[in-house]
Amino acid sequence: MPRLLIGLLFILSTVTAFMPQAKAHFGVIVPSDDIVTQQDSKELTVEVKFIHPFEMHYMEMEKPRRFGVLHKGKAQDLLKSLEKAQGKGGDQQESFTFWKAQYSIKRPGDYLFFVEPAPYWEPAEDKFIVHLTKVCVNALGLEEGWDEPVGFELEIIPMTRPYGLWTGNVFTGQVLQKGKPVPNAEIEVEYLNESPGNPSVVKAPSDPYVTQVVKADRNGVFSYVMPRAGWWGFAALKDAAWKLKKDGKQKDVEIGAVFWVHTVDMK
Amino acid sequence: MMSFLLKRFLTGVVLAALVWGAPAWAHKVNIFAYVEGGKIYTESFFPDGQAVEGGAVEILDGQGRKVAEGITDKEGKCALPIPVKDDLTVVINASMGHRNTYKLKKSELGD
Repeated sequence: MPRLLIGLLFILSTVTAFMPQAKAHFGVIVPSDDIVTQQDSKELTVEVKFIHPFEMHYMEMEKPRRFGVLHKGKAQDLLKSLEKAQGKGGDQQESFTFWKAQYSIKRPGDYLFFVEPAPYWEPAEDKFIVHLTKVCVNALGLEEGWDEPVGFELEIIPMTRPYGLWTGNVFTGQVLQKGKPVPNAEIEVEYLNESPGNPSVVKAPSDPYVTQVVKADRNGVFSYVMPRAGWWGFAALKDAAWKLKKDGKQKDVEIGAVFWVHTVDMK
Repeated sequence: MMSFLLKRFLTGVVLAALVWGAPAWAHKVNIFAYVEGGKIYTESFFPDGQAVEGGAVEILDGQGRKVAEGITDKEGKCALPIPVKDDLTVVINASMGHRNTYKLKKSELGD
C-alpha cells in the first residue's frame, strides 16, 4: 500500500513538474510599429501585457513598477503615460487588465522600451514571476542603441540586430545577470498568435510545440530560427537569489528576461 | 608557375579589396531635420551612427527650387535659417553619390 502511495505521489509530482511548460507566462511589450520611417506615423501605441502568447490567454496585470524608454543612452520614465486597457483571448470568458501607452518619436535612433512589472503571484507554481521585458523600435534610419543594456538584474542583449528580420532569420542573444553571462541559461520561445497580420491562428499539434525551449552555451549565448512572420518572444528564466513574502511565508521568485522581435515574410 | 601564383595573389588582393570596400557601399546615408526657434536643424549620418562630414545640404521649396544650402560639420550637423514658408525638402549629398532627403511640412515650420 505505501508503495502504491509513493508511486501515485511520484506520478503526481512528475505531472505538476511538467505543467508549467505547457503554459509559459510571458511579459510582452508590442509597439504598433518597429521600424519608423519618414513616411510612417511617428505616434506609437505601445501595449504592455502578461499573457500566454501562443495560446492567447491574458492574465491580470497590475500597474508596472517601471516603464520607460532608452534612447541615445538616456532613459526616460514613461510610467505616467500608461493607461489601463482590457483584453481577452478567444476562448477566455472574462477580460483582463493590460496597459497601453502613446509615445511620439522625435529623433532618429533606436528606442528600447522596457518594463518592470509588479511581481505576479502564480499559485500553480507556488512562486512569484517577474518578467523584465524589452522591445526595440528603430527610427529614421539610425541603427544605434539596440545592443545596449537597460540595467535590469537579468537581461537579454541581442547579438542579432532585433529589427528588420525576415521570417527564417536566426535570432541570437546573450543572457546576462548583473552584467555577467549566464552559462546554460534556459530560454523559452513563443510566437505571439495575435500578431497583427497573422493570417490564421497557429494550432499546436501537442504541448511541446507551444513553448520552444533552447539552452544557452557557456557564454550565455543562444540562437533560435523564427519560422513564421509576426512577433516572437524570448524569455530567459532564472530563479532570483532573493525571495518575496506571501501570506507571511517566503516564496521563490522567477525572474524572466524577455525580448520581443518582429519578422516579416520575404516576398 | 610564378605567374600562376602571382595571379592567385592578385585575385586575392582584388577579392579582399571588394570585401573590405563593401561595408562602405552598403552604407546608406540618412538625413533628419527638425525646426526649433525659427531655424532648421539637420543631422546627416550613416546607419551605424557615423556622421557625414562635409556633406552638401540643400533645401528645396515646394516646386523643387533650391532655396538654401550649407555644409555639414564634424558631427554631421548643419543649421540653416528657414528660407521660405513652404513644404520643404532637405537634401543631403554625401561623397560617392550618396544622397537622401527629408520632408518638412509647412505646418512644421512654426509661425
